[in-house]
Amino acid sequence: MKLRWNVVAPLALLVVLAGLPLFATEYMLHIGVLVLLAAYLATGWNILGGYAGQHSLGHSLFLGIGAYTSTYLFAQIGLTPWIGMWVGALFAAIVGWFVGYLCFRYGLRGPYFALVTIALAEAMVYLVTNLNALGGAEGLDVRWVGHNPALMQFEGKTAYYYIILIMTALLLFGVQRYSRRRFGYQMIAVRENEDAAEALGVDTLAVRIRALVISAVVTALGGVFFAQYYTYINPRNVFGEGPSVQMLLFAIVGGLGTVWGPAIGAILLVPIAEFARSSLGNTFSGAHLLLYGVVLVLVMLFMPNGIVGLVQTLERRRRGGRA
Amino acid sequence: MSELLQVRNLTKHFGGLAAVQDVSFDVNKGEIVGLIGPNGAGKTTTFSLLTGFLTPTRGTITFAGRRIDNLKPHVICRLGMTRTFQIVQPFPEMTALENVMMGALVHHRNIDEAQRRGRNTLARVGLAHKADTPGRELTLVEQKRLEIGKALATEPQLLLLDEVAAGLREAEVDVILDLVRQLNTEGITLLIVEHLMKVIMNLSQRIVVLDFGQKIAEGSPAEVSANPLVLEAYLGKEED
Ligand SMILES: Nc1ncnc2c1ncn2[C@@H]1O[C@H](COP(=O)(O)OP(=O)(O)O)[C@@H](O)[C@H]1O
Ligand SMILES: [Mg+2]
Repeated sequence: MKLRWNVVAPLALLVVLAGLPLFATEYMLHIGVLVLLAAYLATGWNILGGYAGQHSLGHSLFLGIGAYTSTYLFAQIGLTPWIGMWVGALFAAIVGWFVGYLCFRYGLRGPYFALVTIALAEAMVYLVTNLNALGGAEGLDVRWVGHNPALMQFEGKTAYYYIILIMTALLLFGVQRYSRRRFGYQMIAVRENEDAAEALGVDTLAVRIRALVISAVVTALGGVFFAQYYTYINPRNVFGEGPSVQMLLFAIVGGLGTVWGPAIGAILLVPIAEFARSSLGNTFSGAHLLLYGVVLVLVMLFMPNGIVGLVQTLERRRRGGRA
Repeated sequence: MSELLQVRNLTKHFGGLAAVQDVSFDVNKGEIVGLIGPNGAGKTTTFSLLTGFLTPTRGTITFAGRRIDNLKPHVICRLGMTRTFQIVQPFPEMTALENVMMGALVHHRNIDEAQRRGRNTLARVGLAHKADTPGRELTLVEQKRLEIGKALATEPQLLLLDEVAAGLREAEVDVILDLVRQLNTEGITLLIVEHLMKVIMNLSQRIVVLDFGQKIAEGSPAEVSANPLVLEAYLGKEED
């Protein structure tokens, strides 16, 4: 059988990444977790933003719902995050469904949808900040109970690394698979031309809502991991604009609506940003944010289809400019 | 009963403008019906009403015995009626094959099956050699053919063609004429809007004439072309 690079390369990468903890330092593992979490979240954002073409600028809404749900349930009733994560996912799905239905049913798409999502995420920052039950501005701690896999708490970083590695691998596998199925094509059709899609029997409203709900669920599960890993959340760091911007940034830089683009964007940018933060952090705080801004502008100017798009264009030229 | 489509008192207002006004007609199973009229007569608006892209201000549409005037386009498509767009609407980033495949996916969830059917349809509209070309890179003529291919792939009972021959050269028009006839012999009912009289007169068994949103005549090609109201409507205006 002929080896197919699009199967072999990801598997090889997975093997390498799975072996990393054998020789990596704790700091390297930390960077690995950050990269994988970013890749995971950007890939989840890309389902709605890249494939279905609806750019949410407030996806932290779902990150925060996941993080706060599992953390609150653990703090209040001791529910393990392994279950809490699905409760959070359910809440995110419900909220996603309502947001999607209200926006898309009443014609708020594109930039209007983007604005609604920002507004909702910002509203959550203020709402949660003023809710003492949720810790207010102080946020919530994930109380350390010692190494306890049943409660998703681990000594050291290795277990967290493997969890997010598996989550990311499963997500990428799912996107790879479903983007080549009916629903994947329907999302692209809706993005490319709504009227044409409707004329060909695509329920464009349902497709958009479904894409949003799936994306919301994925993001909420990422939020639970975020909370467990950092063991602390507050309204700004989960519902705020930071996570929202990063999700779309990595997706845009890597390539919207491609399977690997968002992950590639995260792999390239997160280490650079971390390096900037750790080396310049004292003298120049926010250096990594400036870097993100500059990269985004450059990518939009010079490679509007992201890294994957650029590679595809070069590949096509190499094969003799055939369309 | 052989009526596939029943249109009664169909009316659409855009603000103060009555783009379509009290239009009634039928389309029978197996027919090719022409819908003609000067520019701005309301032909495209009628198509949009029939296929659910616009909601009628008044009037009813019955398709295959079922009221459809409040249904969305995708539902109407699944019931067996779809349209092409006068202004072509390809999926620009999808290949020609994927464009057509989108139509096939309505009734065939399996990608391989949809792709196989897409290939057949693509060959029928003469685009087999362009299967891997993105929609945006096709010429306008090719995009017009793609437009028919996409709609055809949904396996419609009733197909609405909006000026698919406009802007084509003589030989290309003949190809489309042959295709439409062929589709009709396969059992597809057609409602066609066309500016080119040659096409309409050639193909249609029956013609409905609109002017300023109202039906001013209906009949065989011979009857319609002898109708003084029709002559006036056309002579009174510039043809583009
Ligand atoms: N969406 C719309 N809003 C306002 N007016 C419209 C709209 N669509 C069509 N019209 C107007 O309705 C009339 C009929 O247009 P149309 O159905 O496109 O005519 P035709 O296809 O016969 O050339 C024209 O006067 C046109 O300007
Ligand atoms: Mg028209």
